[in-house]
Amino acid sequence: MSWWKIRWPVARPIALALGLVPILLLLGLWFALTHGAAEERVLSPVILPSPAEVVSSFPSLWWERALSRSVITSFLRVLVGFAVGAAVALPLGIFMASFESIRASFAPLATAFGYLPIPTLVPLTLSLFGTGELQKVMFLAIAFVVYLLPLVVKAIDDVDSVYLRTAFTLGATTGQAVRRVLVAIAWPDIFQALRNGFGVGWGYILLAEMVAAESGLGNIIITSQRRGPREHIYLVLVVITLVAFLTDRLWAFVGSRLFPYREAK
Amino acid sequence: MSQTPVPVVEFRGVEKTFAAGTARAFTALAGLTFAIEDLPGRGEFVAVLGPSGCGKSTMLNLIAGFEGIAPPTAGEVLVRGVPVSGPGRDRGMIFQRYSSFPHLTVLDNVTFGLELNGRELGHSAAERRELARHWLARVGLTPHEQKYPHQLSGGQQQRVAIARSLVLKPRIILMDEPFSALDEPTRLEMQELILELWREVEATVFLVTHSIAEAVYLGDRIWIFTHAPGRIGRELRDGIPSFTGRPPLEAQATREFQSAVESVTGVFQQVNGGAVPS
Repeated sequence: MSWWKIRWPVARPIALALGLVPILLLLGLWFALTHGAAEERVLSPVILPSPAEVVSSFPSLWWERALSRSVITSFLRVLVGFAVGAAVALPLGIFMASFESIRASFAPLATAFGYLPIPTLVPLTLSLFGTGELQKVMFLAIAFVVYLLPLVVKAIDDVDSVYLRTAFTLGATTGQAVRRVLVAIAWPDIFQALRNGFGVGWGYILLAEMVAAESGLGNIIITSQRRGPREHIYLVLVVITLVAFLTDRLWAFVGSRLFPYREAK
Repeated sequence: MSQTPVPVVEFRGVEKTFAAGTARAFTALAGLTFAIEDLPGRGEFVAVLGPSGCGKSTMLNLIAGFEGIAPPTAGEVLVRGVPVSGPGRDRGMIFQRYSSFPHLTVLDNVTFGLELNGRELGHSAAERRELARHWLARVGLTPHEQKYPHQLSGGQQQRVAIARSLVLKPRIILMDEPFSALDEPTRLEMQELILELWREVEATVFLVTHSIAEAVYLGDRIWIFTHAPGRIGRELRDGIPSFTGRPPLEAQATREFQSAVESVTGVFQQVNGGAVPS
């Protein structure tokens, strides 16, 4: 048996089969705990609905709760907050990493913000910006800046100084060195940070919507928890995972197109 | 034509101390003085040998004018009679570490310098590509022009660096142990290539190396640096034969090559008390 040989490769079909085992076990456990008539179950439907009950509640989620509209609402909030946050974090990070004076000016503040627990921004932005769309966008924008700024700075710090020196011996100006060497070489890492950040933002928006929102996926979850049906919570979780996964695949696809020289590595 | 020609590179009593005034202060160069004349239509090839940490690279970096190293702590560094105030495309540099821009193809790496100076040079995109292709052909990379650096071997990456530097026609070429990371056969190929090319570009070349054979094969003159603080312990000009047009292995087999290596080794040990170059 080669199972316990360190870093020994596993054939693809076996790897897929192994990956299925925990999923099937979890589903099996769910079936077992929620099998039979309501009063005979190990766990009552109020605590945990059965898989069949969850699936059959989909039409009501789609029609009565307007699932598609909530998906779009939440997605747009992430998108706008992301755009605002990136519009701040990208230029600031690039300037901080390129010029020590700018770094010295902003580093202490950035470090302090780095220790900020993101959930505390929810009540803070609520009191500053009210309960409307502005609050959602600002909450996300701040969270994105806190997340992205150190990653953008690090991506540029990681560019080897040999490239800068080479560019200077080729006659580069300061502006050219920043744009065409530092940012150009760090760009795949910055893109990776944006991609990861987008995924994280998807979690943040649910947090904001569960506290105060008229619409959105977070709102469906919190309403379902208070008034039922509980089945919708599970469905929404599946939808969130699915949207996050598909969005991430889109990022990966764009990345492979933008950085062909990274893929081969 | 009546005046004495201005040296290409001149050092006047140059001292470089890093972290001056602290406990970590380190004097890499002290009292370094020399002048390299511009040999018309030829240029000169200076090979620099010296013990580890003797300030050879610091000398190159001072000529290049890199921030953080230039200006010197004391003395003057002049290029064509003008104090060096920063890096410029008149001084090309080839580093030991591979420095091909990872996000650009081989061809784009070579046109990059032309693009950076696009306004002054005034080439069209087609002219830039043509110039780049000329130099890629000279270094033997034509079949690889659409590849990215990570797809190249170490020797090929250094060829990119050479083509990228030469396309800008620098009058001074600085090479900081450019072949140290390469395996022996590749290193010999690169030495032959350099010897071929530099006669053509007629630039003044400073090559820092730890190989006595490389210094003898490539250099017109050889400088042997002392331990830090470094200065030129000895300069060797006579008895360094020229091997232009002869491949390294063939040159190395000759009596004159072997006796040159022996005498350089002897002088090196005199200057540095038995140490080997590194």
